[in-house]
Amino acid sequence: MSKVFPKWSNALPLKIVVFIFVFVTTLLAGITYYVTPNYVRVGYEPTQPVPYDHSFHVGELGLDCRYCHDSVDQSDVANIPAADTCMKCHSMIKTDSDLLAPIRESYATGDPVAWKRVHEVPDYVYFSHQAHVTRGVSCVECHGQVNEMEVVSHAEPMSMSWCLDCHRHPEEVLRPVDQVFNLDWVHPGGKQGQIKDGLKFVEERNITPPQSCTGCHR
Amino acid sequence: MKRAPYNHPETAELSGPRYWRSLDDLSQSPEFLAQVEREFGPEASEMNEVDRRHFFKIMAASFAIGGLGFAGCRRPESHILPHSKMPEHQIPGQALYYATGFPLRGETLPLLIETHTGRPTKVEGNADHPGYKGGTTRKAQAAILDLYDPDRATAHTKGGSKISNADVNDLLASLNKKYAASNGKGVAVLAESSSSPTRLRLKKAFLKAFPQATWAEYDAIDASNAGIAAAKVTGNDKLQPKYDLSKASRILAVDADFLDEEQGSVQFSKQFAEGRRVRSSKDAMNRLYSVESNFSITGAMADHRKRLASSQMVSFLAAVALELDLGVEGNALNSVLSPLASKLDAETQEWAAKCADDLAQHKGESLVFVGQHLSPEAHALGLLVNEKLGNLKKTVSLVSIDNGKTASIQDLASSIEAGSVSSLVILGGNPVYNAPAGIDFSALLEQVGEVVRLGYYADETSEKSTYHITQAHFLEAWGDGRTYGGDVVAQQPMILPLFDGVSEIEVLARLVGEANPDGYSLVYATFQAAKGTPGKRAFEAFLNEGFTADGYRVSNSNVSGLELANLLKGFKAPAAPSKDSLEVRFLNDASVDDGRFANNGWLQECPDPMTKLTWDNAIIVSPKFAKDLGIVAPDSAIQVARKNPNKVRDGRQFASVATIKVDGREVTGAIHIQPGLDNYTVVLPLGYGRTKTGRVGTGSGFSAYAIRSAAAFVTNATLALTGAEYQLASTQEHWSMEGRAIVREGNLEDYEADKDFVSKMGMESHSPAIYAGAEDMPLQEKVSETPRGGSIYEHPDLTGIHQWGMSIDLNVCTGCNSCVIACQSENNIPIVGRDQVRRGREMHWIRLDRYFSSGAKDNTEIPENPQASLQPIACMHCETAPCETVCPVNATVHDEEGLNAMAYNRCIGTRYCANNCPYKVRRFNFFDYQQRELDKLYMGPLAPKGMPELVQMAQNPDVSVRMRGVMEKCTFCVQRINQAKIAQQAKAGDGGDVRVRDGAIKVACEQACPTDAIVFGDLKDANSRVSQLRENERSYSLLGYLNTRPRTTFMARIRNPNPEMPDYYEMPLSKKEYKAKAPKGASHDSHGSHDEDHHDSHSDTAEGGHH
Repeated sequence: MSKVFPKWSNALPLKIVVFIFVFVTTLLAGITYYVTPNYVRVGYEPTQPVPYDHSFHVGELGLDCRYCHDSVDQSDVANIPAADTCMKCHSMIKTDSDLLAPIRESYATGDPVAWKRVHEVPDYVYFSHQAHVTRGVSCVECHGQVNEMEVVSHAEPMSMSWCLDCHRHPEEVLRPVDQVFNLDWVHPGGKQGQIKDGLKFVEERNITPPQSCTGCHR
Repeated sequence: MKRAPYNHPETAELSGPRYWRSLDDLSQSPEFLAQVEREFGPEASEMNEVDRRHFFKIMAASFAIGGLGFAGCRRPESHILPHSKMPEHQIPGQALYYATGFPLRGETLPLLIETHTGRPTKVEGNADHPGYKGGTTRKAQAAILDLYDPDRATAHTKGGSKISNADVNDLLASLNKKYAASNGKGVAVLAESSSSPTRLRLKKAFLKAFPQATWAEYDAIDASNAGIAAAKVTGNDKLQPKYDLSKASRILAVDADFLDEEQGSVQFSKQFAEGRRVRSSKDAMNRLYSVESNFSITGAMADHRKRLASSQMVSFLAAVALELDLGVEGNALNSVLSPLASKLDAETQEWAAKCADDLAQHKGESLVFVGQHLSPEAHALGLLVNEKLGNLKKTVSLVSIDNGKTASIQDLASSIEAGSVSSLVILGGNPVYNAPAGIDFSALLEQVGEVVRLGYYADETSEKSTYHITQAHFLEAWGDGRTYGGDVVAQQPMILPLFDGVSEIEVLARLVGEANPDGYSLVYATFQAAKGTPGKRAFEAFLNEGFTADGYRVSNSNVSGLELANLLKGFKAPAAPSKDSLEVRFLNDASVDDGRFANNGWLQECPDPMTKLTWDNAIIVSPKFAKDLGIVAPDSAIQVARKNPNKVRDGRQFASVATIKVDGREVTGAIHIQPGLDNYTVVLPLGYGRTKTGRVGTGSGFSAYAIRSAAAFVTNATLALTGAEYQLASTQEHWSMEGRAIVREGNLEDYEADKDFVSKMGMESHSPAIYAGAEDMPLQEKVSETPRGGSIYEHPDLTGIHQWGMSIDLNVCTGCNSCVIACQSENNIPIVGRDQVRRGREMHWIRLDRYFSSGAKDNTEIPENPQASLQPIACMHCETAPCETVCPVNATVHDEEGLNAMAYNRCIGTRYCANNCPYKVRRFNFFDYQQRELDKLYMGPLAPKGMPELVQMAQNPDVSVRMRGVMEKCTFCVQRINQAKIAQQAKAGDGGDVRVRDGAIKVACEQACPTDAIVFGDLKDANSRVSQLRENERSYSLLGYLNTRPRTTFMARIRNPNPEMPDYYEMPLSKKEYKAKAPKGASHDSHGSHDEDHHDSHSDTAEGGHH
């Protein structure tokens, strides 16, 4: 009976425990890193049908965000501009650029240009651009320095906990309403100054960011 | 009708063009792939000379589109498709409202339609109209679903094969050419009545161009008798009576359901409610008498109600008239009226006499309202009575309405039989289905050479026609119409016709020879002609406003008593119905109307306001007659130990099936026993039993048209049980409050004597909500602090700027169900089908509970002549909600502003919350009702999945579409709250004024309510309407003693009976039952009464709680 289990089997339970521990830890760590919006969303940078360069149009030419995304302060949705918005300038400048061919075609035929969606929240989330930009939350807080992006990429994870971080501490992002579309603005007083003024804005503007379900889910 | 499981017919593949492509579709379409190629430059499309690099590029793109590629393990790619050129006024994400009107027979309801990116999604009333004030009917609310009905006709056809719009135009042009020469000899038009001025103009043009042609009009629900009567007694055939309840303090409704069925019901509801909106015991209140054969919601609102067969109404009116001073015509009239009145039994005569006395004491502010379906004799008598009461030009006016020369369907039928019709144009309607029983319209059509039919559905009539022309929905077409009072309403299209439909006026214009008529120009031309060419700007203002004030001209004509006497001389009053000679009353159905809405799932599933039946009609009989037949009401069996066990199988109740025979014709259907009916009147709702309709309407009920000759009621019918059984789908089987103070009622006198009588009813009077010393705290503080004394339960954190609440006034709620459909439309609530309703799984977030009370202590028998009470119940948003404490996953929690939130994504479907809800307002998605066909629910993954694209378009984009396995319930329209809050915040900008103004939010049910019974608002604002109403002494919390502290409160109903009446009651019957069930010796003044269930054990605990 002495030879049923070889000697090395004495260490087996310990080995199994260690293996399971390492396996589970790795798996959990992997999931935590790779399956969260932080990994799957941030950095997403699809190629658009027309390589519109925000860093050139906004950064260099100084277009206001609202020239194209004109519903951002009037509606939940910040619209992607219709082809006729592009044609306001491009019927006069770069009229025969190959890159702009889809725009000209859309303008002529009425068919939409199929822009790739970069930022997307799930269908059950009802986010309002209007509620944020009219009250002093800048575009940059969620979309990053779009004015420096050659190709738009996803800057923030846009997970629910990320939303709530801000809803719990609105003073960290609130700015004067006239600086909302100035993506380069930072509080001259640094972080300290921002929080000090932010708290003042919360008070003055009666800011109560919803933290309950009904704020975003209907 | 055999008992059979609910079988939808095999559904055909949906046909028709695709109008709105989803991205999935788009991704498979060649155009889209072409776009993908373009993205890589023009050279990429040269697949012939493909090089390796291009090949990989294209393959990668195709994989990405097909969802096969992982693109770095990210979510699937999606697209944003902006407009090519931005339409004016459109802001993506913001709803846009357009004014239009809902045409139904002789009335057009002014509406505003909510559209999202060019897609109409919700019907709202046009609040600017002074008469309708934003009220709507359930049928108007459900119009959206008709527009997106996947079973609607999708093509013009000739003998079943598709023809183009150009073919239709040629057809109409050739008809015009053919008959122009013969002055219209041989051509006939059969239309429905319409209030449209443009149609009237074109009708006149038609009759001018074709003087020999026949223009016939037919409505299954006929309202022409009032006009016939007015013509007889005034000598002017253009006159029609129009009623105005706003100045009426005493109203007698003679078989008239003016709150629901009559034309103008929304306006009447508004006016009637204004006379009953008592805020204190000193406010004046109108009084409603109702004499009727059916039990309608008008009867349920009445202060005195008399059951009487419809055939006896002329006699009843004669009895009323005899009590009045008839002046110089008295002698002539007496001789004809007395024999009529004497047909009534003594009790009814006394009832009529006392009622007439009360009316006579309110000369000029009383009103006798005669039901539209009653005979010309009844209407003529009604006019006489109103004249003698001094009501003419006050509460009732004779107005001049010119509808042009119109033949009846009987005239048309005889012309066809005589062979003088070679071409028949049928505009709308469905005569093959709903022509009077004496006319076999289907056979008649075979005698006509060419039948051109304009119809919204390819229905029974289309099947028999040579050509079917697809009609545009009213939301797709230009048009106009008139309100009940005559104001012209604009009808604007919200969307281009989805299936190339054409409108009635366009067809008519082509018929009279216009080459290229479009709806807009036709309506514009009518407007210009009527208003003296005021130009485009005035027209645009009209479109913007939605209507233009333009009442009918009031005539000064008097009612001639002598003409009336002549008319009545030839009238033979039928004998009162009896067991062997029944009266059958045909009813405009509360859901499907005359059958036109048979394929509308929202309406099919909307319970009838009184019977609470869905999906089927039934033979509705009185409890007395049921007893004669030896059948037991299913509801009473619930209480009295299963009287008839045969009727219960698998725990379900079955109804007996019977056959009604009249004039050699017969119809078979299930019997439903309804209290409050005339003993020997049998009520048959019309509109069911369609043989050719869509998936929803097929197999629903039986067609009562089979035995209906022209009138709205017939006599001398017999009924026999067949022995078969059928399971009806009812949403409320039990009818009694069991003596509990659920709906609280009092008479006006009680109220005057004791203005706090409401708070002395129910358990609250000795076991009130536990405020632990904070009872006297102002409401505004109470709602935000929720004082609970030493309770160990967590206090809700109600720190929000607003605290939402609702007040529902039971004194004006008529139970019309408009709110049910409005809520369904606003909140993407699915229909579940007949089988699921039978299992009690209907999804409506708001329901109307209907109770009957007879005053008897024991409710073992279904009462013959009860009072009815109606109460809308939705989630009460309790401050201390019982549902929240039992949810294991925190899916239902409170928000800062007092909303009981439901997070669908958290819900795991334990249904504990529904079990713990005392109001039973939570609804569970047992199946994926939104994604599955209703007859394939039980097939699991084997069944096809997905919502038809047309139905997708009807969804409100601001509300989540729920899936299987989650709980849902009223959210207080959180989407509207959030939109209003965001709008106010945007307005505030960097200021701090973020409080939403009172009235800025109108929740869907509140908006639709034709009596403004529902008021929603902020309880933290002491001046808001809802705060004021909540402080009113009539306010009470339903089951308040449970300490749930509902945010929705009710206002008790006040009845206003006349002490002189033979059926006077000292207290409403429900209160009588309530008192009868209280234990002897209980002092109602000190601490109110007791609930039946509690009176054994309450005294210690309840008293303890009180002190």
